[in-house]
Amino acid sequence: MPEIRTSPLKRLFKPNYLMVYATLGIFLLIYLFGAIMYGGIGFTSLRTFLLLFSDNAYIGISAVGMTMVLITGGIDLSVGAVASLTGMIIAYGTTVMGLHPLVCIAFSLVVGVGLGLLMGACIQYLNVPPFITTLTGMFFARGVTSLISRESISIKHEMIDALAGIKLYMKWPNEAGEWVRIRPVASIDLNTMVFLLMIILGAIILQKTRFGRNVYAIGGSVQSATLMGLPVARTKVLVYGFNGLCSVLAGIAYVLYVKSGWNLALSGAELDVISSCVIGGVMLSGGVGYMGGTLLGVLLKATIPAIITFNGAMNSWWAKIFTGVLLLLFIVIQRAVVASSTRVRKTESSVQK
Amino acid sequence: MKRGLKWETMLRSKLFWAVVAEILILLVGFIIRPDFLNIQLRTLSDGSRVLYGTPVDILNRAAEITIIAMGMTLVIALGGTDISVGALVAVSGAIALKFLRWDVLEYTTPGDYTVKPFFYALAVPLAVCTLMGLFNGSLIAKLKIQPIIATLILMVAGRGIAQIVTNGKQFTTQYSPFKFIGNGSVLGIPFPIIITLVVVLIMILFVRKTSYGMFVEAVGINPNASRVSGLRSGVIIMIAYIITGLLSGVSGLIYASRISSNDSNNAGLGYEMDAILAVVIGGTSMTGGKFTLVGTMVGSIIIRTITTLVLYFGIVSEAIMAFKALIIAGVIVLQSEPVRRAIARRRERRHMNMGGELHA
Repeated sequence: MPEIRTSPLKRLFKPNYLMVYATLGIFLLIYLFGAIMYGGIGFTSLRTFLLLFSDNAYIGISAVGMTMVLITGGIDLSVGAVASLTGMIIAYGTTVMGLHPLVCIAFSLVVGVGLGLLMGACIQYLNVPPFITTLTGMFFARGVTSLISRESISIKHEMIDALAGIKLYMKWPNEAGEWVRIRPVASIDLNTMVFLLMIILGAIILQKTRFGRNVYAIGGSVQSATLMGLPVARTKVLVYGFNGLCSVLAGIAYVLYVKSGWNLALSGAELDVISSCVIGGVMLSGGVGYMGGTLLGVLLKATIPAIITFNGAMNSWWAKIFTGVLLLLFIVIQRAVVASSTRVRKTESSVQK
Repeated sequence: MKRGLKWETMLRSKLFWAVVAEILILLVGFIIRPDFLNIQLRTLSDGSRVLYGTPVDILNRAAEITIIAMGMTLVIALGGTDISVGALVAVSGAIALKFLRWDVLEYTTPGDYTVKPFFYALAVPLAVCTLMGLFNGSLIAKLKIQPIIATLILMVAGRGIAQIVTNGKQFTTQYSPFKFIGNGSVLGIPFPIIITLVVVLIMILFVRKTSYGMFVEAVGINPNASRVSGLRSGVIIMIAYIITGLLSGVSGLIYASRISSNDSNNAGLGYEMDAILAVVIGGTSMTGGKFTLVGTMVGSIIIRTITTLVLYFGIVSEAIMAFKALIIAGVIVLQSEPVRRAIARRRERRHMNMGGELHA
């Protein structure tokens, strides 16, 4: 069978990418709107742009794992609760029990990944719907967090402070040729780095590895994937395990961001994560989604509250309503894309006949 | 022989296991605190008599979830989910309190009065929630959007709308007819229980005395087949979401009346999860198809019983979730297809063995 070749240009305009382009287009539009309205008071500064990343790094890190789960056609509602549990383990371990943060992080990794694998196994082998399984996982993690402590515990440890203090300052040369910090001061912190690294790692796993292809295949059709002899069970369980890992990393990022553990922290974060993925073009029916889209989705969702903050006069609740409107917009675009691509496929197949 | 067959169907029925679970949980409560199941008639200061006791309290507090779960059962039987119900509860309460205490008129103390006619405070929230249900339904039935995402929109935007209706304020009211909804009682029975029973009765009559229930099951089992055989699945799906919207509104009024206030942040928080769990524990499959409204009611009561029991232990309320999760995980594992099949197979094998001995 001859290898099917498509021109790079054609590949760039694959209908699958259309959603990502739509996200990019709307992000640019909203950013442009912000730039025109509030460019004068610093909306367009590099500092504001980088803050979009560092303020939402924990959502983004979690969204990497969520993207994979959604591509398999599943869903994970436990991410916020697991991240909150991680924060509580680190806070309680270092502040109350006097353990080293690394020990707590290792322990929470075991807990988070273990819970993820357990939920994956439940979904795969007991046929319990992902929604119900991970909902139970969410209740469990949230409840255990509350059992550890109901009060917010602040974290004071040199290592946590050091990690949170890692900053890569943006510099440029002044007239004398010396590299100085740009004004207003902009920096990339550890959370942003981890966020971007996880996006790249996720993209490599999805696009370049056998595991990633299996993930897409399962999302396309579980039956076909099983009939093709792909390791469906192993892949599915591992995807939930990987998502557990991402939740723990998100929890660590959140700890570095707020430096405390609280049992009600990050409640509702799972919906922020899922809606970021949906806005980024990941389809909940499975089989379609890209890490690049998810990155744009997180950024786009972060831009709305930023604009409302810059406006100053608007009630912050409008952010929720705008996010809802944005979701509606994207869902309708997705529908249109799916409808048009099936129409194209139909005409193509009729031409071949 | 016939007796054996009956046992078989019972063991396979999820409703049976749900009832067994509820009895077990009540038994645990009874063992720990023998007064757990006591019911008594108490006379209040104004001379009225009210049933009092943990079982009554469980039924009373289960009202909000049971009412929503009635609609959710239809939605889930159609293969969908509605995660906007909690937000609709907040919207309903916010609008009701907006009419009871119009913020243009600044009263210093809340008293036994309403600013707009009481009718508005009941009809407008219900109408708005019904419209929101219609919005969900049209997205799902007309635009063919996945139910979880379609209802995610209102789940995210709903609380924002509730906040904007009341301008971010929290109103309180002492208007007695409104307070009666959540706190009153008729013939000693708390009013929320009566509302629940009426809603459940109307729903059962609606799905079993009209052909709607059968249509829902047909669409839930095989949407394509039912469309080909001439069912207007779009209309059937829309009706289910409209009913769920309306019932969320009713539930929101009960919640607002209980606390005599609106609380856009916390009203109905997590109700979508509880309602879905109630439906699933009750024996309706998440994949759609056959449904049981009575099972859903049992499921909702199970959830409330767990909560009450854990409160009896004196454990912090937030930690209830962990216990809920463990018990629900147990129920779900028992109900899961492979496990039920394994139990049925084991019984069959024993049956066959016995038969073999007899023949020998």
